[in-house]
Amino acid sequence: MISVGIDAGSATTKAVLVDSKVMVVSKNIIACAICPTGFDFIAAAQKAYEDVIEKAGIEKKDVDNVYSTGYGRNSIEFADKAISEITAHARGVYYLYPDVKGIIDIGGQDSKVISVNNGKVSDFLMNDKCAAGTGKFLEYTARALEVPIDELGSLALAATKPANITSMCTVFAESEVISLRTRGLAKEDIAAGLIESIARRVAVMSRQIGLKENIAFVGGVAKNDGIRKALEKELKLSLFVPQKPQMTGALGAALHDIR
Amino acid sequence: MHCFKTIEDIKSSYTRRIRQIADERIAGKKVVGTFCLFVPDEIIFAAGADRVILCGGKNDTIAIAEQYLPRNICPLVKSSFGSIVNDGSSEIRSCSHFSMVDMVVAENTCDSKKKMYELLEEYVPTYVIDLPQRPDSPEALQYFLQELEKFKSAMEKLTGNKVTSERLQQEIRSSNEIRQLFHKLYELRKKDPVPITGLDVLKILQKQYFLSPHAVKEYLNTLITEAEQIIPDGKHKPRIMITGCPMSGGNTKVPDIIESRGGIIVAEESCTGTRSFLDLVEENKDPMLALARRYIRIPCSCMSPNDRRTDIILDLANDFNVDGVVYYTLQFCHGYNIEKNKVQQALKKAGIPMLFIETDYSESDIEQIGLRVDAFMEMLS
Repeated sequence: MISVGIDAGSATTKAVLVDSKVMVVSKNIIACAICPTGFDFIAAAQKAYEDVIEKAGIEKKDVDNVYSTGYGRNSIEFADKAISEITAHARGVYYLYPDVKGIIDIGGQDSKVISVNNGKVSDFLMNDKCAAGTGKFLEYTARALEVPIDELGSLALAATKPANITSMCTVFAESEVISLRTRGLAKEDIAAGLIESIARRVAVMSRQIGLKENIAFVGGVAKNDGIRKALEKELKLSLFVPQKPQMTGALGAALHDIR
Repeated sequence: MHCFKTIEDIKSSYTRRIRQIADERIAGKKVVGTFCLFVPDEIIFAAGADRVILCGGKNDTIAIAEQYLPRNICPLVKSSFGSIVNDGSSEIRSCSHFSMVDMVVAENTCDSKKKMYELLEEYVPTYVIDLPQRPDSPEALQYFLQELEKFKSAMEKLTGNKVTSERLQQEIRSSNEIRQLFHKLYELRKKDPVPITGLDVLKILQKQYFLSPHAVKEYLNTLITEAEQIIPDGKHKPRIMITGCPMSGGNTKVPDIIESRGGIIVAEESCTGTRSFLDLVEENKDPMLALARRYIRIPCSCMSPNDRRTDIILDLANDFNVDGVVYYTLQFCHGYNIEKNKVQQALKKAGIPMLFIETDYSESDIEQIGLRVDAFMEMLS
């Protein structure tokens, strides 16, 4: 059985294609694709879907099921079923890491912590209503530092004395960054301060639902080493980061009907 | 789900009730506005007055209130205040009943309400009942009894009518009838599948303190008869209990999300829920003492300690065979937001999953809440 999972996120749309026959012998997923979401959710989903089929070297008619997840999940009409990204991440990470007990997902517009028991969600917490502790927080504050967001993490690793960023509000944190700059603080130290502030926020959420061990870190922000290290320091444990951490939602959706 | 004729009637009851109140006032009857379950209807009706609830559930009038009140207090307080002080100079309209009361009967519950009432006094005569907030001591009961006696005198003064024991007994019996009808309605919600949605039940709960007791009884009777005849379809849906802040008229946001995403609400432990009817008032006793005893036990989060609430939540979860609890709070409602922790611990211990939703009256977070509700439903299935 061939299934495609599409994760229509706020920043990027991801697609993963799996074949249940192949999975019996190997953990390999057949193909994956990613494209920016932009304004048109549906067009992005179409594109990711077509890309993943092309990469797999098959045709649309060969696909048995399409499952959607992510913020745009309910508007993707060619999907057979929509699944929340919380359930999808749990399923996807469980496939890659069967011992998983907890998941931290920092996405573009929210962050989530999920407690997992045998691949099933047993509790979760989301930060929303505000950009504190999300990818957007990093995007805004990186801009104030005039650093590309991808480099924020490596820049932070070079810090000698991380600054203390106290504002949870993204807009105010940006002004806090500017005032730290005028006080002459090193870019590296400010970057480290920003990353520590987001790590603290997310660590509080993980403690709230009792995550203790075997925690995976997923979502686009997980690619950022500096943040992973700051989180590990804050949580006092090492995190499992999948090779393509932004893909676990789409993977979980693709695996929806495969046990 | 079944379309109830009674619910359709309730939806169109607003203008009829407004006309009724207008006629009453022309005939010299006094009408008071209330905000809270701690204010005994029985005393108001025994004094020959009528009452309407003034708790605001509309988002629009919040903008008016924010000219006077801080932004970071709960939307219920702001919406209510905005609806009352609205002078019509903006495009925003208040519902008619907010300007049809001779006196507001307020109560000292949470800080936001207490301080808001102080400002309200400038716009409408406001009588405040004080509440002891450590409800389990005998001294508290005595104090509350005195407060109710004072309130009784205030009602007598407003209406010119004497509140006799006989009238109080009558009104206690009448209010108990409504409470018993709610018990009967909720009994039907214990069925699986449930014959009636939470949204439909909320429609009558929200109007319980707006409509006349006579109308509420009639609606409850016909609704129960209708619901008894329904054979609901066979699919099991996750059975949800809501607990937390009240959902005032106009505010159905979270139940809407829950029931449009596969859940079914079977009970509400809140002021728009079981708290209005769970306990009856003892009949054929000293009526004022009986009222004080019953009303002081309302498990509002302004009370401390408030462990009774947790016990009730656990009992209801068991009685209504609840799959999961949605803990609903309004932004900046410190009492319920803080009490969440205790309730969560107790539910965890009992093995009942809980989803926490903190929100306001705006529509900005419908999708975010929807995601969490989706995930919660998937978790429960």
